[in-house]
Amino acid sequence: MKAVRTTAPAQIRGSSRWKQVWSDKVLYVMLVPAIAYFAIFHVWPIYGMKLAFYDYRILGDHEYVGLKYFRELFSTPIFSNIIKNTLIISAMKLIIIFPIPILFALMLNEFRNGVFRKMVQVVAYLPHFLSWVVIAGIWFEFLSPSTGAVNEGLKAIGLPPHDFLTDKESIRWVLVASEAWRSAGWDSIIFFAAIMGINPSLYEAAYVDGANRWHIMTRIILPHLYIPMVTIFTLNVGFIMNAGLDQILNFTNDSVNSSIDVIDTYVYRIGLINSQYSFATAANLFKSVIGVILVLSTHFISKKLTSKGAW
Amino acid sequence: MNKKLVTLAAILMTVTTACSTGGNKTSGGASPAPGGSAAATGGSQPVTLTIVSKDFQPEDANVQRKVKAIEEAMKADGKNVKLQVLPVQSGTYSEKLGLILQSGNIPDLIYFQGGDYNFAITQKILEDLTPYVDKSTNIKASLNDYNKERMKNYPYLLWLSPPISAVPVVRQDILDKAPSGKEAIANPTTDNYYKFFKELKEKAGVKYAYTTAGTIDELDSMFGQSFGLTSTWIKGADGKYSYGKTTQAEKEKLDFYAKLYKEGLLDPEFLTKKWDTKEKAFYDGQAGIIAGSQGKVIDVYNTKAISQNGAGAKVVPLPPAKGKAQGYTPVDVSKESRGWAVSKTSKNKDMAFAVLEYMAGEKGQIIDKIGIEGSEYTMANGKIKLTDKFAAWYPNFVESITNFKAPMDPSTPYLTEPAMKSLEMFTSMSTKDNSFVIPSDLASKWDAANAVYKEFAANMVTGKKTAADFDKFVADWNAAGGKDVTDYANKTIK
Repeated sequence: MKAVRTTAPAQIRGSSRWKQVWSDKVLYVMLVPAIAYFAIFHVWPIYGMKLAFYDYRILGDHEYVGLKYFRELFSTPIFSNIIKNTLIISAMKLIIIFPIPILFALMLNEFRNGVFRKMVQVVAYLPHFLSWVVIAGIWFEFLSPSTGAVNEGLKAIGLPPHDFLTDKESIRWVLVASEAWRSAGWDSIIFFAAIMGINPSLYEAAYVDGANRWHIMTRIILPHLYIPMVTIFTLNVGFIMNAGLDQILNFTNDSVNSSIDVIDTYVYRIGLINSQYSFATAANLFKSVIGVILVLSTHFISKKLTSKGAW
Repeated sequence: MNKKLVTLAAILMTVTTACSTGGNKTSGGASPAPGGSAAATGGSQPVTLTIVSKDFQPEDANVQRKVKAIEEAMKADGKNVKLQVLPVQSGTYSEKLGLILQSGNIPDLIYFQGGDYNFAITQKILEDLTPYVDKSTNIKASLNDYNKERMKNYPYLLWLSPPISAVPVVRQDILDKAPSGKEAIANPTTDNYYKFFKELKEKAGVKYAYTTAGTIDELDSMFGQSFGLTSTWIKGADGKYSYGKTTQAEKEKLDFYAKLYKEGLLDPEFLTKKWDTKEKAFYDGQAGIIAGSQGKVIDVYNTKAISQNGAGAKVVPLPPAKGKAQGYTPVDVSKESRGWAVSKTSKNKDMAFAVLEYMAGEKGQIIDKIGIEGSEYTMANGKIKLTDKFAAWYPNFVESITNFKAPMDPSTPYLTEPAMKSLEMFTSMSTKDNSFVIPSDLASKWDAANAVYKEFAANMVTGKKTAADFDKFVADWNAAGGKDVTDYANKTIK
């Protein structure tokens, strides 16, 4: 009798679950391309990670070399500097850029004029579609010590011009600023969408209770943005070892290279350009492990402190 | 359970997103044989050869026409061949080529443009071309002395081209406005060049005398040897070799560049210049002098300068400065840095080499360098007269004109006079370097040491460091891995 009692509800649950799946079959079909994409381009390459432990051979069997390439990576004289640069640049981007899309979305929400708001949105999204080559060209003109708008401004207020692009103290800030310019508008979409999803009756109730715009923002909108904020922050932390290959390749020069040479640029130079694939794989594997550790740490810390995490 | 699944999925996705090794195999074999047998050279069925090269895309109409012309010409010559051009994804060629080779589908003919990283030695996929070259006629005739030396050291890449080096040029109309220019060309001491640079700025109306694209390498081509930097490794009084860029000669050279920079003679924004903005500054008259590879690149500079500024703006190649020695940047002969290779796995190696041999011959060079009759050129009285379409045609196989005897109409020469002059000047004022291929176990140290040098040089030129910091730079350079490479150099250089 006991067995009948426990299995029957399970069967019912299983049956209704399949019914639910069948009723949402169109959504599941739409999911197939995404699953295929991740399976082919993200899950399958895990198999290739073992190359970090082998001497790569185009023809014939790869020779197992154990941790040779990791030892080589860690003994590289500039390795510690590269790690330091990667972490500093990523942390700067993470901390400084992260709040900008949120503030931008809040600001957009305050615009009453829909046409103006759409225009601002389009202008803000535009840089996202430009390549780093084009963006670097724009910023080089913008920051040029002889003709750039920034230095013209400095000169106009009696300050000497400054070559931001060849100064080790300034170049990281240039990277952060150009990244913010490129991504803030686009990244604000998710927060703006979350704001748009808030039930208008909450606003109406708050106004009836005497709330002003500030109260609406701090008591209703921001709490609704909490989950997307935590999710995106946690995912961004996972990418902390990706400091921006394309961007840095376009902004680097001999004078500042030691300040902005990161793991990706190093791997690109030594691993890909010189065709040392095993070395490149070892460096990328190291980077990935750090990324995973950081994602899990952030998730669990967030769960501990706020009972909310990325999943 | 669900949480565990989600966690596992997140781990997998995060790891794989950051990892970009691709699906490499752990075992492989020879690539499948393309085409027919080597014996079928003159048969009715063509021998199919796969070919991969930079700027040689199957969808490019000019490439299709060139391939068709080669196939027809070789067939008429008794070699029935079909060239199957492989597509290369856009981006850095050496990187994309590496990915093609990594897939295991190795083409019969492969063009490397630097970054081959000793594929022949580490991957054992390239054929030793020595016996083929020994039996050749056209290729043997087209090899220059540097080619021969490089083939001796690394006989896997064949590149029939003059050694690529930067030769500085000035526009004639700007040169004419600086009276000291003629003296500098006749007697190119460092002091005369300095005087000329000052006059370029003060009298010829340029914003700065010289600009380069990001590095001081192009300045070195003009001044390096005059300060005594006659080779990469310099033998000291103790009989030991030191890296030239850590010597007193380098210190004096950088001090001179710093003076040029401070006085506004060197472009204040040279570190952030790219090749296109550098050339634009030259055509627009902002920069008095830029450097470009002798021959074809100087030809392009000349044509563009004239089209933008009139006939008076033809370019004048400048000799290297005279001092402790005189010469353009010493020529690295350790190996070809780029060139054609025949795959070791090819089943049609003889035919693959036959293509290279044909392209080095008179008919092949005309197809490669000039184009197709009726399109890029016309024949009149036995002379080749170039048409406007020639400007979009460029060589893919043989850049050298050592063995190029096409009957050109004097009104449309293959290379303009300044381009020919730059080739002659380079030939008469170039020397052989003693650099060597850095072994893979020293590659990361060499990269680190070079980074230290480049930063110090950039900072000293731009005034952030001075000559007083030079000894510390040398210590840093040694600590970054330069000492290990120097030890290796002293064992390697004979």
